[in-house]
Amino acid sequence: MKRIFQHPARDVQPTLWRNSQERENSAIFNESLQREFPAGADRAGEKHETQGLSRRDFLRLTGASAALAGIGLSACRRPEAYLVPFTRSAEWTIPGKFLYYATTMPAPAGAIPLIVTTSDGRPTKIEGNPLHPMSNGSTDAFAQASLLDLYNPYRSKAITLDGKEATSSKLDSYLAHLREGALSNGGEGMAIVVERIGSPTRDRLRDALLKEFPKITWVEYEPLSTHFFEQACDTALGEGVRPIYHFKKADVIVALDADFLNPSVAGFGLANGFYARRNPDQQMNRLYAVENHYSLTGGLADHRFRLQARQLGAFTAAMSLLVGTKTNNASLKLLATTWIHNNPTIELSSESQKWVSAVVEDLLANQGKSLVLAGGEQSIGIQLMVLGMNAALGNFGTTLEVAATGIKPTSSLKDLAEAIEAGSIKKLLLFQVNPVYTASSEKNWTDLIASVPETLHLSLCEEETSKVSRWHVPAAHYLEAWGDVRSLDGTLCAVQPMILPLWNGYSELEILHALLGEPRAEGPALIRETFNSFSQDHSDGTWNNYLHQGFLSDSAWPVSQPSWNDPAVQRLIATLKPQQPFSKDDFECVFLPSSSVYDGRYSGNAWLQETPDFVTKLTWDNALLMSPADAKRLHLSDGDFVRLSDGQHSIDIAILTLPGHANGSVSASLGYGRKNISHIVSNVGFNVYPLRTAASPRYTSSVSIKPLTGKKYVFAQTQEHHNMEGRDLVREGTIERYQEDPKFAQTMGMDGHIPPNIGLYTRPPFTAQEQWGMSVDLNTCIGCNACLLACQSENNVPVVGKDQVRRGRDMAWIRIDRWFASPDGSDKNPEMLPQAIMCQHCDNAPCETVCPVNATVHSEDGLNLMAYNRCIGTRYCANNCPWKVRRFNFFDYNLRPLDQLYYGPLAPKGMADSLKMSKNPNVTVRMRGVMEKCTFCLQRIEEAKIGRLVQAGASDSHKTPIAPFKTACQQACPSESIVFGNIADAKSTVSQRKESPRDYTMLKYLNARPRVTYLARIKNPNASMPDADKVGLANGTVHHEAAGEHADVGPTHFDQHGVVSPQASTSVVSPQIMENSK
Amino acid sequence: MDQHTEHNSQESPDQPHLLAQRDGIKRPPLVLNKRTMGWISSYVSTIVESKTPLWWYISIAITSPIALLTPLLICYLVSTGVGVWGNNSPVAWAWDITNFVFWIGIGHAGTLISAILFLTRQKWRTSINRAAEAMTLFAVVCAGIYPLFHVGRVWKVYFLAPVPNSNAIWQNFRSPLLWDVFAVSTYFTVSILFWYTGLIPDLATIRDRCTTKIKKFFYGILALGWRGGNRQWRHYEMAYLLLAGLSTPLVLSVHSVVSFDFATSVIPGWHATIFPPYFVAGAIFGGFAMVLTIMLPARAIYPQLHDMITPMHIDKMCKVILLTGSIVGYAYLMELFMAWYGANPYERAAFWYRAFGPYWWAYWSMMFCNVISPQVFWFPWCRKNIFVVFIICMFVNAGMWFERFVIIATTLARDFLPSSWGMFHPTWVDIFTFIGTFGIFTTLFLLFVRFLPMICMFEVKAVLPEANPHYGEDH
Repeated sequence: MKRIFQHPARDVQPTLWRNSQERENSAIFNESLQREFPAGADRAGEKHETQGLSRRDFLRLTGASAALAGIGLSACRRPEAYLVPFTRSAEWTIPGKFLYYATTMPAPAGAIPLIVTTSDGRPTKIEGNPLHPMSNGSTDAFAQASLLDLYNPYRSKAITLDGKEATSSKLDSYLAHLREGALSNGGEGMAIVVERIGSPTRDRLRDALLKEFPKITWVEYEPLSTHFFEQACDTALGEGVRPIYHFKKADVIVALDADFLNPSVAGFGLANGFYARRNPDQQMNRLYAVENHYSLTGGLADHRFRLQARQLGAFTAAMSLLVGTKTNNASLKLLATTWIHNNPTIELSSESQKWVSAVVEDLLANQGKSLVLAGGEQSIGIQLMVLGMNAALGNFGTTLEVAATGIKPTSSLKDLAEAIEAGSIKKLLLFQVNPVYTASSEKNWTDLIASVPETLHLSLCEEETSKVSRWHVPAAHYLEAWGDVRSLDGTLCAVQPMILPLWNGYSELEILHALLGEPRAEGPALIRETFNSFSQDHSDGTWNNYLHQGFLSDSAWPVSQPSWNDPAVQRLIATLKPQQPFSKDDFECVFLPSSSVYDGRYSGNAWLQETPDFVTKLTWDNALLMSPADAKRLHLSDGDFVRLSDGQHSIDIAILTLPGHANGSVSASLGYGRKNISHIVSNVGFNVYPLRTAASPRYTSSVSIKPLTGKKYVFAQTQEHHNMEGRDLVREGTIERYQEDPKFAQTMGMDGHIPPNIGLYTRPPFTAQEQWGMSVDLNTCIGCNACLLACQSENNVPVVGKDQVRRGRDMAWIRIDRWFASPDGSDKNPEMLPQAIMCQHCDNAPCETVCPVNATVHSEDGLNLMAYNRCIGTRYCANNCPWKVRRFNFFDYNLRPLDQLYYGPLAPKGMADSLKMSKNPNVTVRMRGVMEKCTFCLQRIEEAKIGRLVQAGASDSHKTPIAPFKTACQQACPSESIVFGNIADAKSTVSQRKESPRDYTMLKYLNARPRVTYLARIKNPNASMPDADKVGLANGTVHHEAAGEHADVGPTHFDQHGVVSPQASTSVVSPQIMENSK
Repeated sequence: MDQHTEHNSQESPDQPHLLAQRDGIKRPPLVLNKRTMGWISSYVSTIVESKTPLWWYISIAITSPIALLTPLLICYLVSTGVGVWGNNSPVAWAWDITNFVFWIGIGHAGTLISAILFLTRQKWRTSINRAAEAMTLFAVVCAGIYPLFHVGRVWKVYFLAPVPNSNAIWQNFRSPLLWDVFAVSTYFTVSILFWYTGLIPDLATIRDRCTTKIKKFFYGILALGWRGGNRQWRHYEMAYLLLAGLSTPLVLSVHSVVSFDFATSVIPGWHATIFPPYFVAGAIFGGFAMVLTIMLPARAIYPQLHDMITPMHIDKMCKVILLTGSIVGYAYLMELFMAWYGANPYERAAFWYRAFGPYWWAYWSMMFCNVISPQVFWFPWCRKNIFVVFIICMFVNAGMWFERFVIIATTLARDFLPSSWGMFHPTWVDIFTFIGTFGIFTTLFLLFVRFLPMICMFEVKAVLPEANPHYGEDH
């Protein structure tokens, strides 16, 4: 289109003119001005050019050829992608900024209060809620990974009836039909099975339902139940009364097969206060653990005793008898003697007896300042004896108080099974439980459910139980639905949805509400009704505050002094049955909650499947764990198959030897070996549920093991070598040694002999105001995997699959090395030492010098950066990294199906849409062929820096303090072992940690100067224990010479020499050197 | 020509006592059976000119499909990911760099024979240098495949080139890998120039003998208008001398730089100052073994070559193998000594695991092949027996591959943190890619034998007794 130039109005009589026509202001001239070119100008000279090419034709041909060339080349263009802005802004959102909401994860062991990060309406990260009294802002591994459960592409997406898709209105009419049926007969023949998550709203709806239909059978079922513990508490302390432990006040703690430090098993927040007492600079507590296999608690224990699970009763009875006798507690004595009388055949070894007397001596010396704990699945006799010991030791009211929870026992699954067999159940509703898989040993639940005419199963994914139920209803994830739940201390916590249900899932509250005949509740109406019963103030402000902080303050159960109900205990003692007898030659089989899939409920979660087990470092599998001595005796080695049989059921399972495992005992994790679910769930591990009984859920006291010949099983372990080989990687000492020579860890091994360091190069200056560093306290690191999952979620770390893990290609940016160490080198009962290893961000990074393309470089604030765009993937940096923390994308793990990695371009490409939603938008999703590693959560650092600029405004931003923030691993750490911060600031926690005499650097002699340092592990052994001379000697016997010889030249030569090195003598002084020269 | 005269005059001693000595131990002639200059030209040219023999067709029909394996598997590698190889963490380099160093090491003998022996006036080099240089080039071609395609994103490999770019990011000049890129590419360029320069007079000879127009045109182009005039010879000899001077430091530098990839790292077992000389000695060792490995069959196929590649040549090469093999053996022992004497537990452990760790078999294979087997060359009988020589050369070839595997894979498999230790297992792609490079190597060599003069005719002619201006004189 031709442009029209609007000329300004012209003077009638111009003073300057181009020609006479203009001067005359003639019409012809004025018209010509309106056109850029006079009429026919384009045709001018056409005649003249007819022989050749006209200008127009030339342009036409040029245009056409360019267009043709464009067609040919258009395939070379990058695919177009669009960023589409909101046409109307959503409330609160600023694109690119996160929003944080409080919610709570319902979990069988205790709810976990959370703060969820949402990005453009998608929850992308889960953190602990630091405001909550039971939380220090941390989470466990399962809470971190629950994000992936939300986006799991294998989630159920449709309601099905008899295998065919059904509409939601059809389901609604079915629920109405159920109600009609119940109205006619008071709910007879209807049973509802739910999982155990103390939700007040669900309890309210249950009460309403049972009031209207009293004949409904209500069952609360957990495969890993604390049934015996609760029964013991109900008897000894009062109905619904549960103990609250005060670990902060406990000087001596005895854990009898109780993994109380594992938050996922023992309950989130249970061990609060424990870690504060592991500080060797204050009065340190002492932890004894008795267990058959290594647990997290056993790993941290000062004294750990290997004992078969079936002997724990005898051990507890011996302890109780001694405590009862010494404290003159008749009730406890009676308990112990009854137990011993009931089980006359079980004898304790002399080693056990020595242990018992030494431990009891320590307990008696710390009366009122001790705690004895037993695992929730132990028998009722053991539970009663443990409670009795706490009572006799005067711990009631000091370290152990109680709360009246009002929790009432419900019918058990066994009762339900009997009712179904009797044919009295016609309608069965199963919410988020999977008895076909988890309760498979005693009853055939496949047949039981099939025999019920009307069955409905609500679950996130299609499970074994869904397959045999008539109705399958997709469940809403807790991040999709309203709810509430009580945390371990009873505080009312809100479960807020972050997103609308992705696949129209239903919550169990909605179904219960529908059974009550109410119209579908809008939003949080159901929850608010419950809330109103808790809070005096029903105003919107209080409600909003509840949602805002995620819990209702002061709603915890009131804590009171426990009282021992002796008559009830006496009555129970009379009914105690003897333990199942066993032959000493038989093996026992212990059933463990899996560190990755718990009881199997998380087996669809690829992040968790790929997370190595705390102890075995096994991914994507479980195994039959046995002691090396037993394996040798049976001529077995890792990966050999055995047939495990209890006489009725038998399973074939591959074995894995585990140092520190009790002899005559094998253990296996639950939750594996599921078949035909999704490819993540199927073909991983072995199902050991068939050997487990409800009567003795922790162990089966007598199994036979028959070695099978044939192919070996290849496990996918992330760590295959468990011996430190005399290298002082984890440094450990006793409290005594620490007090004698606080800096013992800094002169250990080679570090006492490092020669003066002379550098040829001047290090680039660290000009930034903040210098980032990290400290990991090995005294509190239990190796619980929370940091691993937090990192995976925060940094979009891909999952690589079992085959790739077997090939040594796992991508985790942070790993937990787990060492077994004993001073004499024997592996009978070695110590277990976990150590979190992430990129050490060395000042003299070996990786940086070798990268040919400058893809890994250093920042002014001391970070070792990785530029993915620049990386060509020579992998030289990975070779040269002494810590081996660099991870290479051998395949397109994000975009190709993990079972088709080797098909290359023939495999489908792309990521499930739901998985795309789970990614942290601030972190690049890496492609194949590039190296990656821990960045110290660079995106969080930058966010904080941007925040500072915003806050500073026009003022000097450098003087504005940076907003406090944590790295993902630090935030998730339940024991506050990982601390990150500015080491240039002497007041920061990380600086203070690095000032500790326990602070040491790994592989110091390399002069890489890592920014990550470790605090040595200190053990607090009891000198009168039989194994006291073996505790705290992971690095071998004490090397007195090193400490003595070099005492005159200061704590660490290296630092001394560092000051005189050419690097330091220039104007550039690293913060670390500044610290050291102080 | 003057340098030859000068050289020869040195060889005719004028002191009586040396004369007696010379009469006592007479050096064997470089060309046997009193072959004339004409014979040499016609025989060497005939190999190229005659009808393609059947064995050649059979051989190339075998080697070229094998050669095809490598490009096909490289396509698979690039399209799918480096994961198709067995590399992992901690063994991020495995067969890729092993094979690279293996081939680049083999590529050392050719230039050493052409350049260093030329500068040191070793006249026996003339009959083997052409083939050795060709072998160098083909070995470098095989070697170059690995560093190029072992990277994760080969399509971004131009980041290694120091060209200005919009990101304004330079290469990291501290990285030995970058020096490697420069060293290998320089070496390849200079080697190919050197080889081609040496070929020009012989190409002209073949051009002049050609019977068909097409051949004449083809060789005419390659001969660059060589007429053999005095001025041309003068320029030519100067150019050749300069290129020899240029190549000589490269022989030493390339493998030194390759060894820096390891020596400048911090990994125990790699971090060693002994690496550059030890690598160069090893490269010459392996290179000479490979020269013999291909010259002996060539000599068997063309029996008249026996007159030019005489037992004396083989004997001398065996002696070089013996010397360099012993240097390599000394280096192995010195590494062990330093590991012990250095008292660094990581270093000690690294060498302990080499010898007695999971890869002990690779270490002891290396020790046997490289250190023990060449010691038989102390015995003249062994140096004279073609079969013994061939077998020992095969041992050395294998031993040098094991050496690189031991240095790379076993070091990485067990470094500082035992938690990260892991084994490397090759995949079928690893194995067939490597086999394919042998196919490439032999195919290129077969093409070379067929289309280019395998012996440097004009240089051999120059070392004939007749070429001596004093020939026939008795003084």
